[in-house]
Amino acid sequence: MGCNNRDVFSEDDASSSSLSEALLFATMCIIGLPVDVHVKNGSIYSGIFHTASVEKDYGIILKKARMTKKGKGDANVSKGAVIDTLVILSGDLVQVVAKGVMFPADGVGGNMAGDDTEIIVGTVPHADSLISEDEKSTKPLKVKTWTNQTSRSLALTGNGFTTKIVGNEDEKRELQLNQIGNVQEIEHEKRNGIHFAKIGEASDSSTNERQAGDDGSKGGNDDGKETFACVREETANEFHSSSSTYTHLCQVEPVNGGQTTVMSKLSVNGSLCNSAPVPVTLDYQCSKRSTAAYSSDAVPSSMSAITTSAADVISGPCRNSSATSIEISAPQRSESTRSAKEFKLNPGAKIFSPSFANPVSASPPVPTVSNMTYMANNSPVLPVAAAQPEVGINSFISRPSVPVKYTQYGNMTAGNGGSGSQFSQSIVGHMGHRTQPLRYAAQYNTVLAEPAYVQQNSPAVMVGRLGQFVYVHPVSHDAFQGTAAVSPMAPRPMLTPNHVQFPKQQATNAAAQAMQFCVPQSLITSGQQQFTVPNHIPLLQPSFPANRPIPIPGTNGFYSTKFS
Amino acid sequence: MAMDGSNPEEFAVGCLLSIKTTFGDEFEGQVITFDRPSNILVLQEGIKPGPRRNIRLLKASYIKESNFLGQADDPLDPNNCYLDLSALQAREELAIRQAEAEAERIGVGVTSEAQSIFDALSKTLPVRWDETKIVVMNEVCVSSPYLPESVSGGTPAANERVKKVLEFERKRLQLRNTSG
Repeated sequence: MGCNNRDVFSEDDASSSSLSEALLFATMCIIGLPVDVHVKNGSIYSGIFHTASVEKDYGIILKKARMTKKGKGDANVSKGAVIDTLVILSGDLVQVVAKGVMFPADGVGGNMAGDDTEIIVGTVPHADSLISEDEKSTKPLKVKTWTNQTSRSLALTGNGFTTKIVGNEDEKRELQLNQIGNVQEIEHEKRNGIHFAKIGEASDSSTNERQAGDDGSKGGNDDGKETFACVREETANEFHSSSSTYTHLCQVEPVNGGQTTVMSKLSVNGSLCNSAPVPVTLDYQCSKRSTAAYSSDAVPSSMSAITTSAADVISGPCRNSSATSIEISAPQRSESTRSAKEFKLNPGAKIFSPSFANPVSASPPVPTVSNMTYMANNSPVLPVAAAQPEVGINSFISRPSVPVKYTQYGNMTAGNGGSGSQFSQSIVGHMGHRTQPLRYAAQYNTVLAEPAYVQQNSPAVMVGRLGQFVYVHPVSHDAFQGTAAVSPMAPRPMLTPNHVQFPKQQATNAAAQAMQFCVPQSLITSGQQQFTVPNHIPLLQPSFPANRPIPIPGTNGFYSTKFS
Repeated sequence: MAMDGSNPEEFAVGCLLSIKTTFGDEFEGQVITFDRPSNILVLQEGIKPGPRRNIRLLKASYIKESNFLGQADDPLDPNNCYLDLSALQAREELAIRQAEAEAERIGVGVTSEAQSIFDALSKTLPVRWDETKIVVMNEVCVSSPYLPESVSGGTPAANERVKKVLEFERKRLQLRNTSG
């Protein structure tokens, strides 16, 4: 049977080439694949199959070829050296061995990367009911933001990791130092001040890594509005949305009063305000934020919304922990830095890898959270969001207690891609350098933005974890939606270095899992490691095709449900 | 029963063959096609169908011995032979990039110990080769013999960190060597 078909094949080929079409087809199928070429003198060259001469004799060309086995006789090629382009004439060719060839007819796999990206894009639009129209990138705002993020990440990737990181590190260190100083001062003064400072810092870090610490700290002392102003100045246009959020927060503050005001301020960043005390206020904020964000910049708005939602969820635990968390933060810093260093030292950085893995595992629990966050972010329907957060929190709480699960997830992630783990490690390493300053900054930042919630939670340990989980999810979604989201994410990763923060980190990871892109973005937003993050992102995407699909469905579902 | 490799008529599409080459390679495979003008026999290894196959393009004149094991269907479905040129190009570009990256990771003129240290460092830090020196984070240099004492340059914090990582990695490498 086959022979008959093939006869048709080979007889037709005469017109186009002297080679049979089947050979041509086989040749095409191995283009770009690593092959071993045996030549007449017994040598074996390994390289990437580039092309073949099909005119008369079957000569082939390899790219990046190396001699992997030296045969007898002299060759004009030395063993071990990489030959950019190696032409093997037909007379020398004995055989070509290509492994793992996939014929198009068999293949399902070829388009994984493309599909992933597409899926992601689709999900993001879904996330926002309003945006749903944007699914096809109709709306410039959100779509643009996303694209910008991606492009940023790509650009970052394109650039050398090390260089950028190094440069940033110094700046970051300075920033961090400033931030730390501010934070400490603030702590002495008032918690509220601290929150403000954190917010300012967070916004700064998230935006452009600029030295917001000073401004933020000042703002913290004065009023939330001032901080906002600072943020605005420092932050780019994108932050305008955040500024709007801040205003909302201010409004909320009066209602809550006292600590609640502080909370509200925090909520601006992300969070505590929303928490339990004043759901209504939160709703307002959310709605306002969401609307504002939509109208102005999709990304910032999404960020703010996310933060608020996160804050709502966390609020209960956060309040309790918030004061303590701040206080605790100082001791943790030292410890965390130490731990971070250790991690850095550890090549395996297994701990970190788990966190990445966690995202995947976390994704299942995340859905609730994500829903919550999504609601808050996108959906103007504040009440719903509030309710969801609570639910989500409960579930999260139960989960937080189970670190083991996270670890398992971590394993999963590790399995997904070596590259991914490496990236995580590299991040960790960066963290270590920056560790203390960055972490502080990150924590503060988190407080300010969504991440802030996580940080607060971290001090509270259990509560923090719960909150973190929830937050993470929202963050991830946010990250997709807008740049602002990214910034929150970054703080969390920063936190990860700390042992205490590990749960949080896991949470972030989970969020990352839900939206892999989000994690990288967050890192980027953090500013400290923006460069590193981008790198991670690109890598992650290719390396973790599976992960993306998983998170995406969850997000989509959430979005769709909420939005719908 | 042995067949003469010069007899192309024997290589019917779908044939399962056991082939021994003049270089001593032995393998079994199914004939995908035989191209008479170039005298190239295209085989796929592994009888069972799967998404991933190993393909051999073998000059028939280097077949020393071949045994007919059986006959199976045409491994190629002529109705399903399509190629995505852009995908092929993308695959090749990616492969070349990876090969380049890989090549950069291999130090030229360094000992295997240096390479293993480099590989170990690369797991935690961004590293590259500069001649025989390992450049970490673009600022800290680790030169031969790649001991913590041979770390130089960079900010004090970075320098310190590289030293620690290096020390740790060396310990790990030692452990592996002794245990292995």
